[in-house]
Amino acid sequence: MLNLMRAKNLYRPISDNPQVLGLLLTLPALIAILAVVFFPIVSSFWLSLHQKDLSRPQFDAFIGLKNYFNLLHDSRYLNSLWVTLRFSLTSVILEVVLGVSTALVLNQRFVGRGFVRGLMILPWAMPSIVNAAMWKWIYNADYGALNALLTQLHLIDSYKIWLADPKWATILIILANVWKETPFTVILVLAALQTIPEDLYEAARVDGASAWRSFLHITLPLIAPVLMVAAMLQFIWGFQTFELVYVVTGGGPFSTTELTTLRIYATTFRSLRFGYGAAMAYLTSLAILIPAVFYIRSAYRRVVEM
Amino acid sequence: MRRNVIFLILALLTILAAFLAACAPTTTPTPTTEPGPPKAEATTAAPPQPAQEKITVIFPRHEADITGAFEARVREFEKTIGIQVDLTQSDWDSVADRVIPEMATGGSAYDVVEFDNGWVAEWCGAGWVTPLNDFMPANFTDGMIPGLVDLFSCPDGKLYGVVWNNDTRFFYYNAAKLEAAGFKEPPRTWQEFKQMSLAAKEKGVVQYGMAPSWNQEWALANEFHFWTYTFGGKIVDENGCFEFNKDPNTLAALQFMIDSIKEGVANPAGLTYDQATSQDAFLKGDTLFLPQGIAGLMAYTQDPSISKVAGQVEVGLVPGATPDLSATLTLPEAYAIPVNSKHKEAAWKFIQFMTSRENNEILAKEIGLLPIWTDLYTDPDLLAKYPFWANFQAQLATARGLSKLTWYGDFVDVTIAEVHKALAGEQTAQQALDNMAKGLAQFECKP
Amino acid sequence: MHLSSRRTLRALLLYVIVLMIVIWTIAPYLWLIISSFSSKIELLTVPLRWLPSRPTLENYRSLFFEYGEQSVNARLFIRSLSNSAIISLSTMMIAVVLGVLAAYAIARLRFRGSQWMILAMMTIQLIPPIILVIPLYVIMRQAKLLDTHLGLIIVDLSIALPLVIWLIRSYFASIPSELEDAARIDGCTYLDALFRIVLPLSGPGLVSVMIFAFIASWNEYLYAFIYTNVNAKTLPVLIGEFSTKLGLEYLKIAAAGVLASLPPVVLALIFQRFIIRGLTAGAIK
Repeated sequence: MLNLMRAKNLYRPISDNPQVLGLLLTLPALIAILAVVFFPIVSSFWLSLHQKDLSRPQFDAFIGLKNYFNLLHDSRYLNSLWVTLRFSLTSVILEVVLGVSTALVLNQRFVGRGFVRGLMILPWAMPSIVNAAMWKWIYNADYGALNALLTQLHLIDSYKIWLADPKWATILIILANVWKETPFTVILVLAALQTIPEDLYEAARVDGASAWRSFLHITLPLIAPVLMVAAMLQFIWGFQTFELVYVVTGGGPFSTTELTTLRIYATTFRSLRFGYGAAMAYLTSLAILIPAVFYIRSAYRRVVEM
Repeated sequence: MRRNVIFLILALLTILAAFLAACAPTTTPTPTTEPGPPKAEATTAAPPQPAQEKITVIFPRHEADITGAFEARVREFEKTIGIQVDLTQSDWDSVADRVIPEMATGGSAYDVVEFDNGWVAEWCGAGWVTPLNDFMPANFTDGMIPGLVDLFSCPDGKLYGVVWNNDTRFFYYNAAKLEAAGFKEPPRTWQEFKQMSLAAKEKGVVQYGMAPSWNQEWALANEFHFWTYTFGGKIVDENGCFEFNKDPNTLAALQFMIDSIKEGVANPAGLTYDQATSQDAFLKGDTLFLPQGIAGLMAYTQDPSISKVAGQVEVGLVPGATPDLSATLTLPEAYAIPVNSKHKEAAWKFIQFMTSRENNEILAKEIGLLPIWTDLYTDPDLLAKYPFWANFQAQLATARGLSKLTWYGDFVDVTIAEVHKALAGEQTAQQALDNMAKGLAQFECKP
Repeated sequence: MHLSSRRTLRALLLYVIVLMIVIWTIAPYLWLIISSFSSKIELLTVPLRWLPSRPTLENYRSLFFEYGEQSVNARLFIRSLSNSAIISLSTMMIAVVLGVLAAYAIARLRFRGSQWMILAMMTIQLIPPIILVIPLYVIMRQAKLLDTHLGLIIVDLSIALPLVIWLIRSYFASIPSELEDAARIDGCTYLDALFRIVLPLSGPGLVSVMIFAFIASWNEYLYAFIYTNVNAKTLPVLIGEFSTKLGLEYLKIAAAGVLASLPPVVLALIFQRFIIRGLTAGAIK
């Protein structure tokens, strides 16, 4: 019997053999990705094991993990890692909360719904360099719209130099990022909401469940897979934010908004220390890889179980 | 099943597409329309045909060049010399970030590149550019402003770039507002500068004397150089050993910067301003002084869409800690030839043409480009057009460049963080300079 | 009536919230539009006037007609626009086709290596592109792909594909698999199930993912900035060049930014009707 099944498996057409078909379907995508990133990843990792200061070629040498050990004592890098983590985590939490609430609202029936939904894409559609330049002017201490608005609403008495204050600079950078990235969550959740069968809600209503309970027990579990992916992607993108901070604060005031990408850029493109810059990139990746793997595993398992 | 067939075709197509895409990076020749220099000539056995040579050139657009004057000169070069030019002109940052990957990977895509004053030592160390002495006629640089020419020589004494943009900064003041505050003459020392600013503030003429560009960014290191120079301070010696943390004048310079914010001479919002915003504030009439304005500023004052100070602005001499310490920063940009260029002769012809006295004069007339040839400053036609150049001359003699260090990028990186922290009042001037020394310790005494 | 007044109140509340969402979303953009019609000196006015007293088209004019021969800038702008369109549309289409297949395999087919692939794709995403730019530059140069559409499409695919796969997979995962199981028992192959059941059901998700893939490529800056120069320069790269040694030219960036964000928004407005319920409500029953 077992033999028979195995034999049957062999003669199954390719299109019905999960193992072969699975590989066949994923390989094109995987090849397309690896063709671009494989060599750069390997070569920049190799670079990270070297001292490679382009402007001082006489000191070039293989130094093993020394760059990495140096990074562990590089207080400016460690600070940027902390700043980045805070920036990404806060952004993601706000994006998920605001994104889901907005999506729920836009899922109601109201006049002009289609237009408003289409409009949601606007911040995400804006080129990041434009977004950055725009916020830089809005936050300008003497001529910016933020100060003008807040004074005219009598929320503040006098103009404030927002970006010179570490606390406010951090908050405003996150705000600008959340403004730009939230639509991503909104659209994704909105789309996921469409696939939830209406009868589930009706059944809940018949049972007398409150709106909150049906959100918790019907909506949330069904949008969870999408939400988890959205959150993870945005967390990763948070770690890769560059233009926004580079333009709006340049990492200031005194490096309190300095993300790791700014450190990598300065080290690689301005100081021409390619080895150290590469090590920075890999240590940063490692720092998010570990939590990300746990997160993925649990997310994946939950999805598979469903 | 029809669906099946459709799918199969689709799948095959996509796999094929992916395969092509995936393989593409390793498949080579078949010359495409890449803007690199054609390298065909060398292989042809036939006698060297006079096929038109083509060079690829990249440099930033000059901020005053709103008429395309540089491009017109390049086209003129094509016509008279018979060498084609593939020209890329964009902003400074873009040029830097495009040129650096190309140079770092030993590419030959460019024949003439932008060579910024701030890159000289780094590029000398990396060996990215060609010494020009082999191409240059003996007296080529005679007649150019010597202080500018020298900035582009490497430690081996050879010249590696020829200046095309004399970006020297000048001291501008709003004479009308200064008079309203009760002063007829511009300040000669920083002490006077401070008094005038505070007096003007008291009379309600302006809120602040200046709105400095002290955001934590690359240009903050320029500012650090500028203030240090005008206090007679030193930054590093010729061997790259630190002086900034030992020199009392450097300390005084940084202390003055800090105090100017504390005492209300400088707008504290300057901690978040780039140079463009500082200039905006001055042109709007919100400040008395623009200590480091670009040479083309006077033209801007006449433009009502950006300026409210037409006819009010004058050029003065930069104040110093004492009057004799007046100094200014020059951030010249040059043309250089990458070592891997395959058209060095043609590239040199381009450089020679573009920096010639004749073309320098044309550009000066058309867009007010600050000349690199000394005698153009006394040219009656030019002086009639730009009377304020008469005031530039004395300042040009005091112009100084940035520190030449193979680790200048790191110097900037550490300096701007520590100086910004001091300006924000989070540490003292001495602490900032000490922390700079600490942060740069691994580079000390390496020029 | 008590009930109807409660209903009115609820509707009112809904509209207030919607209005707040709309304001939050478009206020900064409105300010960008206003800026793009202002002169610098008006923007510097204190207290700020929210509408320029003398609106100007100068910023738009300078986008198209400045520097040298008359329309050289207009040509540059239109060229970048078409470059962006070609690259983003190609990237979007290839990414969605490859992505759907891969996502389906990962979501539904239990095969050895699927876990590993997911992990690989995520790990790749973690590495900041800023460090891959230079090694990749060497490859691109050797393959003569610098400054070509194909080159940038290939590079953009490596960014868009993981995004597409991840998102589509999660949509597939939220579709109950009972339907497919039933179909499989009826003799359908996996691919039949994908095309006849799963894809129609995930229509809204698919459309939103397409829009995201398009925008991811439309707005990609770092790679485009370093790998394109003349022939394949994209719109964001062109916009980024509106700056001088002194800083960004905000007004020009604003004008160009207003124009550059229109195509994706128009696209979203056209496609949003597919993100509504009607399409799928019937199919699922």
